[in-house]
Amino acid sequence: MSFLWGVVWGVAAVLVVAVGAIIGVWWERKVAARIQLRLGPQQIGPAGSLQMVADVLKLLVKEDIVPDASDEPFFRYAPLAVFAPVAMSIAVIPFAAGWAPFDASVGVFFFLAVPSIGVLGILFSAWASHNTLSALGGVRAAAQMVSYEVPRSLSVLSVLVLAGTLRPVGVMDAWQWWWIPATFVGFIVYLISSIAEMNRGPFDIPEAESELVAGYFADYAGIRWAVFMMGEYGAMISASLFGAAMFLGGYHLLPGALGIVAFIAVASLLMTVIMWVKWTLPRMRQDQLMEFCWKMLTPIALVQLLVAGVIAAWL
Amino acid sequence: MAVERDRLKVPESVSDEYAPGVKGFFQGALSVLTGLGITARAATRTPTTVRYPDEKLTLSDRWRGPLYLRGALGRDSIDIISAPPDEYNGVIDELYRTERLSPCIGNCPANVDARGQAFLIADDRVPEAYELVRERNILPGVLGRICHHPCETACRRTRYDEPISIRPLHRFAYEEYRKVASERIKPLPQTRGKRVAIVGAGPSGLTAAHDLMRLGYTVTMYEGESKPGGALSTGVPSYRLPRDVLYNEIDNIVAMGLDLHCGVKVGKDVMLADIMRDNDAVLVAVGLQQSRILPLPGTDAEGVIGALEFLWAANNLGEAGVAGKRVLVIGGGNVAVDVARCALRVGASEVKLACLEGDNEMPCHPWEIEEAIDEGVIAMCSLGPVEVLSSENKVTGMRMRPCLSVFDESGRFSPTYGEEMTDIETDVVVFSIGQAAVLDDLVSGTALLVSGRGQLVVDSTDFTTSAPGVFACGEVVTGPGSAIGSIATGHEAATSVHRYLEGQSLTEGRVPRPVPVLEKYGPVDFDYVEPERRRAVIELADPEERVTDFRVVEPGLTREQAMAEAMRCLRCESEVCVGCTFCARVCPDYAIKVERSDEPGARCLTTYELDLTKCCFCGLCAEQCPTGALQHSGQYELSFYHRELMVFDKGEMLRDGGGTRSTGRDGITSPACPAPPRKAGEAS
Ligand SMILES: Cc1cc2nc3c(=O)[nH]c(=O)nc-3n(C[C@H](O)[C@H](O)[C@H](O)COP(=O)(O)OP(=O)(O)OC[C@H]3O[C@@H](n4cnc5c(N)ncnc54)[C@H](O)[C@@H]3O)c2cc1C
Ligand code: SF4
Repeated sequence: MSFLWGVVWGVAAVLVVAVGAIIGVWWERKVAARIQLRLGPQQIGPAGSLQMVADVLKLLVKEDIVPDASDEPFFRYAPLAVFAPVAMSIAVIPFAAGWAPFDASVGVFFFLAVPSIGVLGILFSAWASHNTLSALGGVRAAAQMVSYEVPRSLSVLSVLVLAGTLRPVGVMDAWQWWWIPATFVGFIVYLISSIAEMNRGPFDIPEAESELVAGYFADYAGIRWAVFMMGEYGAMISASLFGAAMFLGGYHLLPGALGIVAFIAVASLLMTVIMWVKWTLPRMRQDQLMEFCWKMLTPIALVQLLVAGVIAAWL
Repeated sequence: MAVERDRLKVPESVSDEYAPGVKGFFQGALSVLTGLGITARAATRTPTTVRYPDEKLTLSDRWRGPLYLRGALGRDSIDIISAPPDEYNGVIDELYRTERLSPCIGNCPANVDARGQAFLIADDRVPEAYELVRERNILPGVLGRICHHPCETACRRTRYDEPISIRPLHRFAYEEYRKVASERIKPLPQTRGKRVAIVGAGPSGLTAAHDLMRLGYTVTMYEGESKPGGALSTGVPSYRLPRDVLYNEIDNIVAMGLDLHCGVKVGKDVMLADIMRDNDAVLVAVGLQQSRILPLPGTDAEGVIGALEFLWAANNLGEAGVAGKRVLVIGGGNVAVDVARCALRVGASEVKLACLEGDNEMPCHPWEIEEAIDEGVIAMCSLGPVEVLSSENKVTGMRMRPCLSVFDESGRFSPTYGEEMTDIETDVVVFSIGQAAVLDDLVSGTALLVSGRGQLVVDSTDFTTSAPGVFACGEVVTGPGSAIGSIATGHEAATSVHRYLEGQSLTEGRVPRPVPVLEKYGPVDFDYVEPERRRAVIELADPEERVTDFRVVEPGLTREQAMAEAMRCLRCESEVCVGCTFCARVCPDYAIKVERSDEPGARCLTTYELDLTKCCFCGLCAEQCPTGALQHSGQYELSFYHRELMVFDKGEMLRDGGGTRSTGRDGITSPACPAPPRKAGEAS
């Protein structure tokens, strides 16, 4: 029985991420276009809103290229290994009072740990492509994602210290409005390291079109490439939802059922900010990236944790 | 031991000069926020891109690709501009209006189809090329030697390397045509039963005669000299224009039915009034007969002579009485240079040329004065004549003063002089400062009016004079100019005569000829230009030897050179790909591959490939396409099922803008190169 539920939730999570990615891509193209004084998609559907539907159709029917020299099974399934953990992580997000699709007692830990499996997927794809640029991109991605996990986890820890629980639903129950100012610095650290986690600009060194021609997924085309793309948007969605819940109060912002609406609205706003940052800042250099993580974000996150700890002890 | 590593190199343009520590942190954070502010503000502004026009929104067009070709060599031939004389200008106007006029045609005063000439020569149809040119330029063999070729100045190939040798191609076409002329020249039928008389057998008169004969009129021509050709016969020196070429081309016109009477001076031997009575219309094309001489003290001394008289003697008698003497030519135009070079050839010991203008504003064409200097002419610029010095009524020298400026601020001729005088010793002074018409005998007994300044009163757009049925053309209307310029007026006058005789309005529907706007080209850098792309080099005869007699200075193109020159033509605005490869050369992504074969008569585009996986859609290729064959299809968003489909080959590039392109090749095959066209009568 629980297995069946698992399947249902799994399918639901994939659909949520897929639909979210479609809307996300459309919205990102609009945001990017406006920043660059363009119109963006405009032909299919009102304001080009059906453009992505057409794109998905196109991607589905495109030729499925597997390079001769690649390690075929790994090459074929690596995209899934990137996408699945991201989709799974959405399951623990507390959407409404007392309810998360998967209400685990170690939910926060789950949320932080499971997407890390994606690093393996990326390494698979990088290695299986049998291509220098991909391999380089893969190694860069692994280094970056593992590193940024540290400040990211530390920043979330400050909320957990205040809440005293690892259960996301429990955190939301215990939530107080003054947590927002108290953990604001942690929130910024969380946001930055999340962007780095999902390999988005200005931290998109692993993909770096100009020098690595898309890095670890350089050899992918069609729907397999699209799965990577969905993985990225899925990570953006889940990070925004989780951030909105943990740091910004999630459904507490509006009473009752409207809470869910407010929650999703805030998460969308966060996504827009992430896009905005990407289309504003230039790509960092690998050494700057690492320095920024270890010498800047990690100490700041530790200080935030200390502050949260002091507040918790004082209460 | 620790590995020593290079310090990371930061490009100088990149600055990460933030202060160390906390201050630097806030500086960094601030700059990130500043950046976010900038993009946020940008997002609130109205986008500057436009929407796709509605007609571009169909799905099928979208899959066409960004570019397509119109016509390609081996499949199409270009439009040859050919029309009856009285309709030709309408055709040119239309092309001009639709911006399909190639710059060479637009810039030739008579709008000769130089593009068609190159096309036909490259196609190994040289006699046809000659006949095409002759429609507008009645003397291609002559102009092929002496034309100042404004067409070449405008040639768009100058943008890429060097212009096409249009003028030498006229000459080549003539040499080839000469071999078959007797078969191809037929008398033109005189269908209209109306008679036109033309006075003067210069280029303008001959042009009008030819046009009128083509329209079916009976034409009689009177020429005062014993030989036809006008200034070309009496003026232009034979080292530039051998007379047999001139007379041969005129003979061809006579063979078409022109009734030419040489040695008949109108106004003396026959009266213009009689001619007017016997004919339905009369055209006066008498040119300019008299050299102008400055009214300076001492000009009545022996040894002062006018340019035309000097040239007439040099050309017709082979000597001008200057052997062993020093000659000073006053004037800086083309005629002055001719005089100077002729003087050397008839034995002058020293030839100097003095003009008002500075050395880079001389009115003659630069190549003319260059050749003259090579031959030993001494050019003295910025000098104004004051007085002819003489003793015992024989010229001994010329007093000159420096000329400070020739034109005033509004660009009018108004020279200013310095004070200090120089005397130049010389035995002969030739004035070459312009020519004037001699009309008194001619107009006597008619209603023709001559202005106070001795000029015939003519309307310069429809070429009517003050007497009905009498028209005028050539230099007598325009003043000194070029041969092709007078030819252009000959066409206009013929059209007026035709309309007058048909009872049509002379002005209706007649637009003034479009004034060509010359494109200005910067100097070309030949560093990366392959030698075979460049213009044929014509080696002039050795200057030291050629000044000794009237031998021809400039040899023509060899057959190989002529073919290569003709194939260099880009066929501008023809909308047919010539395989010039310039699109491939401008492409920043090396996405275009063009190959062609250059066999005479079968020049053909063999490969045209556009690799869309490389294309960055910059559009430079289509922007620079000289022929307009490469066109934007208006679609920039692409979608394909297979990788192979992303390379467009010649066949697909030729497909018009419509139709889908996402599913496969749709059975399109590249058009093959044609077999070389067979000459008529040749067995297959
Ligand atoms: C020395 C010289 C060099 C030149 N070099 C060049 C050059 O290199 N390139 C170029 O493009 N142009 C050149 N030109 C200009 C060119 O020759 C003239 O523009 C052109 O010949 C003018 O043609 P036309 O028909 O108007 O007059 P003309 O050629 O002058 O013809 C007029 C004819 O009418 C005849 N005539 C005059 N009065 C009578 C009469 N009463 N009865 C009968 N017949 C009469 C004359 O004998 C003459 O043959 C040169 C001109 C000269 C003088
Ligand atoms: S007549 Fe002169 S200007 Fe005209 S096309 Fe020929 S060379 Fe060029």
